[in-house]
Amino acid sequence: MDAAQALEDILEELTSIQKDVNKLKTASVSGQALRKRVKNVHKNWLPVAGLLEAGDIVDTTQLQDVSNAWTTMVKLANSASPKKQYKALLRIIIAKTESELLHKFIKGSAIQTIGDTLRKLAQPIADPELLKYLDESIRCAETNCIRASAVLAWCAVAHMVHKRLTSLGIATLNSEFASMKADKGLMFRTFTKDYVFSTDPDVQEAADAHLILLCRFLTYLDDTQHKHLKGALDLRNGCGHPTGYQPDTVKLQAYYADITQLVLLNPRFA
Amino acid sequence: MLDKLKADFDGIIELVNKAPAALQETAFKMILEQWFSANTAPKPVPPSPPTTPAPLGSGSPAAPGILPDAVKPFLTANAITTDILEKVFHPTGPGAQLLASSIPGNGKANKLVSLSLLLCVKQALESGSFTCTLKELRELAVHYDCYDSPNFSSNLKANKKYYNLRQKGADLELSGPGRKKVGEIIKSIAAGE
Repeated sequence: MDAAQALEDILEELTSIQKDVNKLKTASVSGQALRKRVKNVHKNWLPVAGLLEAGDIVDTTQLQDVSNAWTTMVKLANSASPKKQYKALLRIIIAKTESELLHKFIKGSAIQTIGDTLRKLAQPIADPELLKYLDESIRCAETNCIRASAVLAWCAVAHMVHKRLTSLGIATLNSEFASMKADKGLMFRTFTKDYVFSTDPDVQEAADAHLILLCRFLTYLDDTQHKHLKGALDLRNGCGHPTGYQPDTVKLQAYYADITQLVLLNPRFA
Repeated sequence: MLDKLKADFDGIIELVNKAPAALQETAFKMILEQWFSANTAPKPVPPSPPTTPAPLGSGSPAAPGILPDAVKPFLTANAITTDILEKVFHPTGPGAQLLASSIPGNGKANKLVSLSLLLCVKQALESGSFTCTLKELRELAVHYDCYDSPNFSSNLKANKKYYNLRQKGADLELSGPGRKKVGEIIKSIAAGE
């Protein structure tokens, strides 16, 4: 059974019942037909509730709340009962089913499959150093630690960028930074920092934004690629610092697609 | 179809002969497969089986930015250039992601339909087939805040002309009008409308 589809069907029918209850001119819901519809939807709800209970995606307290509201509503449906009570219960069941069960279920299912999606994107990478970071990052994503996942995946990007730049030799790297500072072109004129490195590990102290700008200066990246990589760095920074930003799996997937394409699998960085 | 194959066969053999002798058998097989996929009527989309991706580091090469052949006729027919496509999807090949920060359309229903059409193109950039799973559509609809759960099925049903005939709950596959519509959506997003 597709739980999301089943919950949508239940919500569709409940919304329709809610409209019909609201339309009633009487103070109580006494018509057999409407009461039977309530019981039928409840019958459809039971297997879905069982499925959700067996899984670990939705909060069991929320599930119990909805189940309790259902029990009360089915009792109401056994005989003519006040419309007011129906309206209150329908409102609770619809709101909780939608926000606490269905939305959580969809997000939870995405978490359950995000690992496979990310592994597919990272699959062609063979460098064991990069894989150490990526494997840890993907395992974070699978446990719903999206921000940690983004930060760890950036470690792989930073490793690759450092490796590529230090392969030029420290003297050349210092000179390229000086040339970039002297460049008054649109992209580089805001870069004003003096960098003088003595050893390879010194490069790790440089700001990642400056290192990827140098990659643009050295034409390892074109303008569009640089723009997207800068976007990925911004996401990483948003995740690595105390902010209120909470990316979801969709964002993480796009981030992974960008970093793999722009750096991790880019032959210019090999 | 056999008549068409007979007519094209000499051309295929000519192409195969251009390949080195050791690769001719493989080349023949590949060309023939391409011929059949291009000349057979599209079949209904079966539900995609769950696939277990190979472990990290198994090293099968991806080809980012390379458009699958099946997408090219769609782009040509709708006058979508690479420049336009790049403003909506990145990269424009396997691993494609939707760039739009918001989905065009008034109200959740229209946005959901636009999103479903765009996801079919995203999948086509990935694999060449203009399809979209409902699971992915729901996840993206929640992300883009256009998920209206009680009306999810009815909204898709109300716009059924954009999709090939399907069972309830089955994956979506773009129809001719769907491809035309998504062509317009892509151009409007690229134009910043």
